[in-house]
Amino acid sequence: MNAHVVPRPTASAMGTAAPNGTEVLRLEGATVLYGGTPAVDAVNFSLWRGEVHALLGENGAGKSTLTKVMAGVVRLSEGRLFLNGTKVQPTSPREALALGIAMVFQETSLVPTMTVAQNLFLGQEAMYNRPRGINIAAQQFLQSLNFHVDPGTTVAMLGAAKRQMVEIARAVLHKARVLIFDEPTATLTPEEKGHFFALVAQLKARGVSIIFISHALEEALAIADRITVLRDARHVLTAPARELDRAALVKAMVGRDLSQSFHGRRKALARPAGARVLSVQNLRMGAAVRNTSFSVFAGQVTGVFGLVGAGRTETFKVVAGLLKRDFMHGGEVLLRGRPVRYRVPAQAVRDGIAYVTEDRKIEGFFETMSIAGNIHIGLLAKLRGRRPFVNRGEQRDVGALWVKQLGIKAVTAEARVIELSGGNQQKVVIAKSLVQAPELIIFDEPTRGVDVGAIAEIHQLINRLADEGKAVVMISSYLPEVLALSDRVLVARQGKVVEEFSAQEASEEKIMFAAIH
Amino acid sequence: MIAALSEWRDRVLGRGDAACTVPVLDGALKPTQVLEAAAPVHLAEAARDLVSDGHRLWLADGPSVIELAPQHDGEVQARELLRCDAPVTALCALPDAQGGGLAVAVGGRELRLVGGRQGGRAWKEADGRPFVAVNAIAASADGLIVSDGSAENGPDDWQRDLMTLGRSGRVVRLDPATGKAQVLAEHLHHAFGVAAHGSAVWVSESWRHRVVALGAGDRPSPVLDHLPGYPSRLTPAARGGWWLTVFACRTQLVEFVLREPAFRSRMIATMPPELWIAPQLRPAQSFLEPLQSGGVKQMGVLKPWAPPRSYGLVIRLDAAGRPTGSLHSRVGGRHHGIVAAVECADALYVLSRGAGCVLRLELAGLEIE
Repeated sequence: MNAHVVPRPTASAMGTAAPNGTEVLRLEGATVLYGGTPAVDAVNFSLWRGEVHALLGENGAGKSTLTKVMAGVVRLSEGRLFLNGTKVQPTSPREALALGIAMVFQETSLVPTMTVAQNLFLGQEAMYNRPRGINIAAQQFLQSLNFHVDPGTTVAMLGAAKRQMVEIARAVLHKARVLIFDEPTATLTPEEKGHFFALVAQLKARGVSIIFISHALEEALAIADRITVLRDARHVLTAPARELDRAALVKAMVGRDLSQSFHGRRKALARPAGARVLSVQNLRMGAAVRNTSFSVFAGQVTGVFGLVGAGRTETFKVVAGLLKRDFMHGGEVLLRGRPVRYRVPAQAVRDGIAYVTEDRKIEGFFETMSIAGNIHIGLLAKLRGRRPFVNRGEQRDVGALWVKQLGIKAVTAEARVIELSGGNQQKVVIAKSLVQAPELIIFDEPTRGVDVGAIAEIHQLINRLADEGKAVVMISSYLPEVLALSDRVLVARQGKVVEEFSAQEASEEKIMFAAIH
Repeated sequence: MIAALSEWRDRVLGRGDAACTVPVLDGALKPTQVLEAAAPVHLAEAARDLVSDGHRLWLADGPSVIELAPQHDGEVQARELLRCDAPVTALCALPDAQGGGLAVAVGGRELRLVGGRQGGRAWKEADGRPFVAVNAIAASADGLIVSDGSAENGPDDWQRDLMTLGRSGRVVRLDPATGKAQVLAEHLHHAFGVAAHGSAVWVSESWRHRVVALGAGDRPSPVLDHLPGYPSRLTPAARGGWWLTVFACRTQLVEFVLREPAFRSRMIATMPPELWIAPQLRPAQSFLEPLQSGGVKQMGVLKPWAPPRSYGLVIRLDAAGRPTGSLHSRVGGRHHGIVAAVECADALYVLSRGAGCVLRLELAGLEIE
């Protein structure tokens, strides 16, 4: 079950793993304090020339903060940063870039209203910029990286995977000697991941040093020369990747053994199907959803797997009223046997459909509002009629209840969502949906960008909902997750569901074959 | 006025009742090849119905009623029991409490009791309306329940009944002791299959792709609807629940044709029925047959959720009428047009009109409850 389906770079493809030992970057006793609380606490870290160094840890462990120090986004409260033996203190990303340190952020920092080419050359503008010249240069550069992105496309029109590719391309373009990738593969397809790993191998061969933050432990084990694990803002271990395995990493990251909670569900325990809750018949939506049909049953987790572009998210957004099917001959959606066509998502919410988005930062919550405020909004969406005032007492009670029920780690339910780790933010998004008491819950990539500890908790929650008789849909690109949780697996390809497997039949090979062929 | 406008809007936009959509075969209806792999135990080209009393089987084959006696080796021994003057369209083995013997529908127009205490009694009409397409008979505590598929089209003209959107089916209760007939429901969209369920009667309404329950004085209430095919006979399963046969699956092409009255009337008027764009009981035999748009080849297999005009399907229902499993003969198979499935001893016997044979499946080997 631990095998990951993304293409793995072979040792030869990645070049010889042994770094030459020349230290490029060193952090000594690095400490960053936020309001007196250490986000990074006395961490020592070193990066060698031509090395891929994976930085692992649960959300909130301090990985991003540590790398942000190097990239000039955050300043050290204590400690020192050395670059090629010289003490430096970059105060801005531009200054870090001038020193040769570039960071590809988890949340893309591209300008959505500008084209890909304009984003690539942002900050390098001349007095006169010939758009055609920029486009040609961008095209040549993207092709040299094997990235198939149209340079004339506005970034807002790109999917998450393509945005990530542009972000990576921009860092490479700036000829950085130290590249920091924060979750670079989370949104890439297996094919794109293959290209990315090849790119990493190329960069490494040129002597570029790479820091690689990822929650995909198998990727880190395959791609990295050394691995450093942080936990609770402190350094736990640094060791050569070949001396580690998944179990050792998980234990180092969370301080406990999680192997049973993640992939522990046996296939023999697949739940029987209850009543048919959702029946989608010949649904069409532009080129994204093409005549797709499937059903979802109560008391089961229906896993939906597919590559990026398979139309999974779009299909379920139509079901949840977030997108509209084709105006003419768009097919039928039946909820408990009744045809439904929602103009707005609130109608779907009132019918008992909850959609937990894959893009929590954009669609999932209001980041500057409190946890309780966000969860209460979910409740308000369910209620009919207008409320002139927000009932603060109700908001507080609802917030406290769900913080407790889902184990959201926050000082208080009044804490702002932006201050939470990715896993806890995801729990807020889930709580916002569950407070609506839905009968059909659609989880879209529920554990993307979530640490292993929170993953186990979210998986337990999904199982619990199905055990309670809810119809649960889980869209996921991570096959071990699909296999571990699903009672039946639907495979989507090119806008339609093309295959169905029972839990007993499903295997990684069968699912991938159906998703590609 | 508003309803007419809504209907017009739906026709233009392909929505609501005008949506040419078909439910998918998934979940408990996920296609298998179990039916296709089943062994034929008796060939019967003109067979129409198969019934059992738990120990013996009776088969309506053309004008004959054949008794099939299961043997220890899984084979059956056939013996002609009686011969009528017209094809036998439905059969029922009467329990001893009702006098025993067989109820036989002859030509769809007459129902006769053969053998037993009430032997010789016959019905040709109910409530002043003659029988036209009697296609299923079931015994209940207070008599016989009969489904009469159509008032206009006989049993062989079921395709015409579908293409003319027939809704003249009815369900009748007959009392063998007194000869009284009582109409339980009428204006059904091709009643084909009945079963007594407590005080209610379950009826397959083929053209509306559903099974409905008829209670005392109530309107028919759906037990199981949005089926992906045209349901037919219902028989009880020994371990509780039911076997429901589906004699053909729906396709978007046929659904589309059903929404085009001008095309249908021209097709009916100018083409022989075997070339109509309509469901069939048996797989394609002629290259003249219209294109079967539902066949989509993926991963080297013609996918079953886009079935062509003929298909083989038996659905296992639980006591509440919810599907729990199914047996299939898929695209490219031969055992299509399933019209009866009955349990006898430790096996399930299935009548395939498409292949003209009786199939036998060991109940213990079926991975469905």
